[in-house]
Amino acid sequence: MWQVAPAGDRALLITVGTIIDPALLGQVLALDRVLQDRRPSGLLGTVPAYASLLCHYDAEVTDAARLEETIRQLEGKVEGAIPSGPVVDIPTRYDGPDLPEVALKTNLTPAGVIELHAGREYLVYCVGFAPGFTYCGELPDQLKVPRLASPRLRVPAGSIGIAGRQTGIYAVESPGGWNLIGRTTLRLFNPTADPPVRFKPGDRLRFVPAP
Amino acid sequence: MIEVTDGGRWTTIQDRGRPGLERFGIPPGGAADWFAARVANELVGNQLDAALLECTATGPTLRFDAERVVAVTGGQVGSVPDWQAVPMSRGSSLALGAIAPGLRTYIAVRGGIDVPLVLGSRSFCHRGSFGGGFGRCLAAGDRLRIGHMVGQQPVRDPWPPSHRLPLRGPWEVRVIAGPQVEAFDDEALERLGATACRVTPAIDRMGLRLETPALRLQTQEIVTVPMTAGAIQVTPSGGLIVLHVDHQTTGGYPVIATVITADLPLLAQARPGDTVHFRPADAAEADRALNRISGWLELDL
Repeated sequence: MWQVAPAGDRALLITVGTIIDPALLGQVLALDRVLQDRRPSGLLGTVPAYASLLCHYDAEVTDAARLEETIRQLEGKVEGAIPSGPVVDIPTRYDGPDLPEVALKTNLTPAGVIELHAGREYLVYCVGFAPGFTYCGELPDQLKVPRLASPRLRVPAGSIGIAGRQTGIYAVESPGGWNLIGRTTLRLFNPTADPPVRFKPGDRLRFVPAP
Repeated sequence: MIEVTDGGRWTTIQDRGRPGLERFGIPPGGAADWFAARVANELVGNQLDAALLECTATGPTLRFDAERVVAVTGGQVGSVPDWQAVPMSRGSSLALGAIAPGLRTYIAVRGGIDVPLVLGSRSFCHRGSFGGGFGRCLAAGDRLRIGHMVGQQPVRDPWPPSHRLPLRGPWEVRVIAGPQVEAFDDEALERLGATACRVTPAIDRMGLRLETPALRLQTQEIVTVPMTAGAIQVTPSGGLIVLHVDHQTTGGYPVIATVITADLPLLAQARPGDTVHFRPADAAEADRALNRISGWLELDL
C-alpha cells in the first residue's frame, strides 16, 4: 500500500516501501513517468529517490487531497520494471584514504576490496543530497561497513565511497561520511550542460579499475 | 556599475531560485527570506524575478558610479533608511554595517543585479559553487552590472510596519506534521510543540541546527527520501536540523514535521541563541497564513 503524506503545505511524499529494492525503485520511476506524461493540473515537479516520490504542487491550482486522489488511482496500475539500458563504465583509481581501513574491517586485502567493488554492475537509486551525487546499490555483503564516526568536512569531487550496502560518487566537493575507497575523473555535474548531471535513477554503471 | 569595496560577512546574489531541479541534487535556493526580498524588489519597482543582494550578519560596502534607486529590507541596519526606496547619487557609498535584530538584509537596486542565468536563475548555489555571477559570495573589488528588469515606478512611501514580519524571537513557527511523523511515538509531535528549541551557531542557508535538551525524540535512520525546505529532521542523537532554501535534496533522517511556506522567512532571520516554538497547524491555516502576507504584497501604495 502506497503511503501518501504531506511534506509541508506545497508537496506530497508518496512512499511505496521502506527498503532498498530494485522493484520499489521501478514503481517510483514508473509513477514518475506516468505523472510527467499526464501532468495532473497543479503538479509542478517531482523528485524520485529509492522508494519514494516527492510531488511539488501549486496550492493555488490544486490541493493535497485532490492530488492524492489522482495518485491513488494509479496504485497497482504502473509497470514496475526498470527499463534496461547500457552499463556505463566508471574509470576508477582505487587509492581512497579509507581503503586500508575498509580492508581491515572486512577481513580482506585492499586488492580483495577492489575486486569485489569493481566486480559487479550497480543500479543508480537516486541522485540527491548535493548536485549530482550518485547513490548506487547494492554492495556485496562482505563490503558492508558503517559510515565514518565523524564525517569529513571536505570530500573532493569525483570521490567514490561506500557505506552500508551502498556505494556513491561525490559529484561536487562537499562534506561526507562515507568510506572513500577511490576516485574518478569522470565529471558527473556540469551546471552549463543539459541535463546538468551524468546519471539518473534507473541507470546502470560499473567501476573499472584504472591505473 | 556598482563596486563592492567590502564584501561583508556573507553577501550573495539571489533571486527566486531554481525550483524543479531537485531531481539532479540541486537545491531550489533563492532568497532565504523570500518576503523581505520580494518587498525590496517591489519598493524599487523591479520585476519579481530581479536579482538582489542577500547580506548576512554584517553587510557589504558598495560604491555607486551612477545614480541609482535602492531599497533595503529584512534584518535591521542603522546605516540607511530601510523598507523604502532611497536614491543613491553618483559616487556615493552605502556601508550597510551590522545587521540586528534579524540576520539577513536585502538590497534591491532598481533594474536588478545583472549576472548570467545559470540553470534558470541568478542565485548563488553554495553547494554547487555556481550562479550568483561569481560562483562564490561577493568580495572587495567585484563589480556588479545593473540590468533593466523594471516593472513599475518605485514606491514613494515607506513600507508600512504593520505589513512586515517580526525580526526578533522568540519565534512561533507553524508546522505541518510529517512526512515521517509515523516514525515517532504518538506523543512526539505534541512534545515538539511544547518544547522551546534553541538556535545554535550552526546555521546557514542549507539549514539550522537546533538544541532541544528536554525533547529526546527516539528515532532511527530511514531509507533516503526527498527533502523540502522547512523539513525538521530528527538525528539519531535526538537533535533537530531544520532545512532551508539551499537544503540537501534528499536525506536519511526522518522528518517529524515541515515548516509552512509563510513562516520560512522567520527562520531566515533567527540568530544563534534565539528560541523557536514549533506549533502544529493544518493545511487551511498554512493557506490562510500565506494569503495574509501575499495580500500585503498586493497593496496599492
